[in-house]
Amino acid sequence: MASASAQPPAKGKGSSSLEFDTVAREDLFYGGKKASDPINTVEDKWKLVPAFLKLRGLVKQHIDSFNYFIETDIKKIVQANNEVRSDIDPSFFVKFLNIWVEPPVVTDHQTNTTHTTTPQECRLRDVTYAGEIFVDLRYTRGRETVTAQRVSIGRMPIMLRSSKCVLSGKGPAEIVKLGECPLDPGGYFVLRGVEKVILIQEQLSKNRIIVELDPKNQSVTASVTSATTERRTKTSLAFTKNGRLVVKHNIFATADIPLAVIMKAMGFVSDKEIAAMVCGDDESYLELMLPTLEEAHLLDIHTQQRALEWLSERIKLRAAYQPGTRRAKQPVDDARDLLATNVLSHIPLEAENGMPNFKRKGMYLAQMAKRVLSAVKDGGNVDDRDFLGNKRLELAGQLLSLLFEDCFKSFITHLQIELDKQMQKASRAATLDAFHYVKQQSRYITEPLFRSISSGNWKIRRFRVDRAGITQVLSRLSFISGLGMLTRINSQFEKTRKVSGPRALQTSQWGMVCPSDTPEGEGCGLIKNLALMTHITTDIEDEPVRNLCYALGVEDVNVLSGQELNDPEAHTVYLNGELLGTHSNAADFVAAMRKLRRSGRVGMFVSIYIHDSQRTVNISSDGGRVCRPLIVVDRGRPRVTDDDVRQLVEGIKGFDDFVTEGKIEFLDVNEEGDANIAMWENEVVYKGMMAKDRMPGSKRRSRSGAQASATTQVLPNSTHLEIAPFTILGAVAGLIPYPHHNQSPRNTYQSAMGKQAMGVIGFNQFQRIDTLLYFLCYTHQPMVKSKTIELIGYDKIPAGQNATVCVMSYSGYDIEDALVINKSSLDRGFGRCQVNRKFATMVKTYPNGTYDRLGDALRDKDGKVSFRYGVIGEDGIAEVGERVNKDQIVINKQSPEESLGEEAGASGTVVKYKPSPLSYKYPGDGVIDKVLLAYNEEDQLLVKVNVRQTRRPELGDKFSSRHGQKGVCGIIVNQEDMPFSDRGICPDIIMNPHGFPSRMTVGKMIELLAGKAGVLVGKLQYGTAFGGSKVEDMSRILIEHGYNYSGKDYVTSGITGEPLEAYIFSGPVYYQKLKHMVMDKMHARARGPRATLTRQPTEGRSRDGGLRVGEMERDCLIGHGASSLLMERLLLSSDIFDIYVCQACGLIGYHGYCPYCKRRKEVSKIQIPYACKLLFQELFSMNCVPRLRLADV
Amino acid sequence: MDHGTRRPQNEPILYVCGECGADNELKPKEPIRCTNCGYRIMYKKRTKRMVQFEAR
Repeated sequence: MASASAQPPAKGKGSSSLEFDTVAREDLFYGGKKASDPINTVEDKWKLVPAFLKLRGLVKQHIDSFNYFIETDIKKIVQANNEVRSDIDPSFFVKFLNIWVEPPVVTDHQTNTTHTTTPQECRLRDVTYAGEIFVDLRYTRGRETVTAQRVSIGRMPIMLRSSKCVLSGKGPAEIVKLGECPLDPGGYFVLRGVEKVILIQEQLSKNRIIVELDPKNQSVTASVTSATTERRTKTSLAFTKNGRLVVKHNIFATADIPLAVIMKAMGFVSDKEIAAMVCGDDESYLELMLPTLEEAHLLDIHTQQRALEWLSERIKLRAAYQPGTRRAKQPVDDARDLLATNVLSHIPLEAENGMPNFKRKGMYLAQMAKRVLSAVKDGGNVDDRDFLGNKRLELAGQLLSLLFEDCFKSFITHLQIELDKQMQKASRAATLDAFHYVKQQSRYITEPLFRSISSGNWKIRRFRVDRAGITQVLSRLSFISGLGMLTRINSQFEKTRKVSGPRALQTSQWGMVCPSDTPEGEGCGLIKNLALMTHITTDIEDEPVRNLCYALGVEDVNVLSGQELNDPEAHTVYLNGELLGTHSNAADFVAAMRKLRRSGRVGMFVSIYIHDSQRTVNISSDGGRVCRPLIVVDRGRPRVTDDDVRQLVEGIKGFDDFVTEGKIEFLDVNEEGDANIAMWENEVVYKGMMAKDRMPGSKRRSRSGAQASATTQVLPNSTHLEIAPFTILGAVAGLIPYPHHNQSPRNTYQSAMGKQAMGVIGFNQFQRIDTLLYFLCYTHQPMVKSKTIELIGYDKIPAGQNATVCVMSYSGYDIEDALVINKSSLDRGFGRCQVNRKFATMVKTYPNGTYDRLGDALRDKDGKVSFRYGVIGEDGIAEVGERVNKDQIVINKQSPEESLGEEAGASGTVVKYKPSPLSYKYPGDGVIDKVLLAYNEEDQLLVKVNVRQTRRPELGDKFSSRHGQKGVCGIIVNQEDMPFSDRGICPDIIMNPHGFPSRMTVGKMIELLAGKAGVLVGKLQYGTAFGGSKVEDMSRILIEHGYNYSGKDYVTSGITGEPLEAYIFSGPVYYQKLKHMVMDKMHARARGPRATLTRQPTEGRSRDGGLRVGEMERDCLIGHGASSLLMERLLLSSDIFDIYVCQACGLIGYHGYCPYCKRRKEVSKIQIPYACKLLFQELFSMNCVPRLRLADV
Repeated sequence: MDHGTRRPQNEPILYVCGECGADNELKPKEPIRCTNCGYRIMYKKRTKRMVQFEAR
């Protein structure tokens, strides 16, 4: 390793980190190394990671996906639905020529002007960060055809840092100028001032055959979910218990349709033809096929006509009804059409003399049948649903494009209806100008878009999709929690299902999904996080790829016979799940395709791989595949050399140059299975060109080879080299120092806790006014950091402090992970935090002309202001800087008593006001930090008051190190009572050593050691996963500075003044303060408010509720026979109530009178719970009569 | 209930523009717009009352 001679310029005391950090991240980007430093390839290839992240950003997946939607997909959608015609006037049309979205603007309602806006303005003013959607139109007006340019048809929320965002292409300094944090990753939306994230959705991939074992009836099933822009259908092919192949599809009323009938209906009439398509010449398949073929004969179906007739009787009525078709069709034609459009709808269909050509579909269906039969033959060897290669990740762009297409279609229908209505009007003064009506329909685009993103309910009518919880509010608890949210993958699986498969860590997730970062409990394994270098593809045009395939010798299915398709020497070729044809030399074909991809002739995210057992070549260019970059290895040599890395550091080359030069390529999960990836450069295997290696596509590992012992196993030649192993972890797990030394669940716990740590939210944190915001006051960057920490900027906006920790027992207040904290450390600012709360209200103007107003403080006769109004200024809003206590008014708003109905003020009546103030209702005083006044989108005055609280740690506040070791503050000890070392070092925290043995967080011990060594030499140490500063080196440093190599110190007791009998393991450990603080949770009550209905004490801290004696506590008291206590808890202290009971009829009467018996005698007073009285009355209302029999006790 | 009358019209309350920092006088029912730069977010100025803090 080269010495870090190039340190960032030394800063004087008090110089702000903002000054240099916002403009230049470069100093830390390459670890302070300069071009002149010697570069060792093995050590330094990780430098591609910062280059990758610099190019792509941390949440580039979201941004790329949104950019693709806003720039490409939206145009395609409009192209597909670009015309509006009228039923009234056949010559009339409106045509959309072009569509584009412009950068976000806000409209000023008072001047009716628009101006470009910034995300920060939108957040503060509760406005939506959205740009206008414009179209160019061509339409008929009267008899002429006119064009209109730049017609607004609605508004589109814009993702932050996307190409349409004002922040795109701006440097850190400019971003700061716009009130934004340069480290904020973007990738979310701002709707009405709320930051919303569209979570990544995980789904099973579309248009691919997946063979499964149906658990219900043990039948092997191949199913395809076909997805095109028009429709989504699911076709499955099952091998039933009685050995027949049947097709299942939604359009059929009966569940199972024999395969042979479908094939015959598609025009493959002869059994020989069908058999050849499925089995080729393989007789073992043919045997399994026999019952299937026989079935058609049993049904007496021999011709296409007969098959279609048979099918038409089994088609669901709803499916047969097509609203667009006018002419009544023959049932046979119906069946044919449905077969063409709905069965395997992703397979394109060529028309031949007006009749659909089913060749491709039939071949595809036959291949499905072959897959089923081979699985049956193989004893149920089926596909793995949880394999990441069978999954697709849906991002903001795809989800929005589905939504937008739906909106646009409804926009067009409404436009058509409106135009028809106008044209039908007999008396039209002017010629109809469609232009105005296009503008009027904009709400059909704007509203659903805004509504869906802000509510998270995705409703797509054409696919009958209705999903909730797609978006979430971006958590701003800390920078990490926000970042963690943007990399989160949500699974569509049911959480209640008790299958472990989808939850388990899949081997194919290596490098793509973080193995540590998943929640505990119900979401465990279903909610995942992306690894650091994961990229998610967007759609790539498949037409050039298709042409290339044919040019490279793929034989089209249309010219193939069944035997040729199933030729055991040839491979079948699929492009995005569509059967293209066969290739006789798959290995060469794949090699050629890869060569073309590396030279940039094919999109770099096109993947191609050989599936050996299926004998298929699969090419994918669809969106949503997860992939990651790897260094290409050529004949045992990585294509990235020392020189390349040097040029990277010098800034001559960027990451994308490496990709265009074919030195680095992106592999998706499927293609990864075809590659042999070396972890380190010295592990690259090359044993010359062997015969089998001429086929780089296939490993050709024989089955017997896999069983051979590891020693005799011959490693295949390496094809790729890992860039940096630490990138298998995600952004959140990357904060853990030495994670490879910890027990794995500890890393998972820390991944959850890192999101609860208070810290710096962003450079603009004090400009923000959020409902609740936590800051840590004096943050440190960790002494032991990792490369991930530098890459995500955690060292610039950290969430924690380096505490000097002694691992020893002290006082007994440290059991069960409790911490002993030094009081003087707290005085110096350790763990001090700020809590900012927002109080916001709207000062509205109502439709009847009345309006809210802000009143100044209420004074009594002497002109004195009462306590509640103590902080109110003359404008009716709390004064900035004033201390506010519980129940004091922050905004003294008054609303008109009559805000609806008639016009007020006109008839000379005085508008009456009622107070509707906003008061500070939290325990503990706060300080008014900011008062903001602005107008929102609806042109109403918005008042936001930010109240700040500064808290120092107290007993019970929660802290945690970065190793899943949480603990509460058990006692705060004066510094004079704390132990101290011979150098006078006194710990900030004493941690009980019992935390270590069972948790096995060795990483924490190494962090302490490395931190201590770092302090001594004045350098930050690294704890990067699978690397980092070595313990041996750390120990050496400790020895050099006169310390014990194991990190143990001689310590004197602060209480007795005597040396402790043991050496104490002590040094700095990075500690986080978690958001759970006693102050927000502490609650007690003797007497207090009661619920109105039951008159029982209210529930919950926020309502000053009582503490419930629940059923278990009740059982306890019964067991003890503590009847008086029970009586007191359940009656006297709860909802005791006096009622008068008539002893004659047992009903409830009044004091001294029974209305039922109409008598004054025998009415006695008893005490029962009010809830009991309520129950009786409810029973009365249901015509049940509970009667009370009284007796003497 | 009509307490808390409108503020006595002695000296105007000044607000600071969120963009340029210019002082602005805001009257009730008047649009919030900086006379200097046209920005539409205003912040209230710090109180002139005495405020005492406890350093802990």
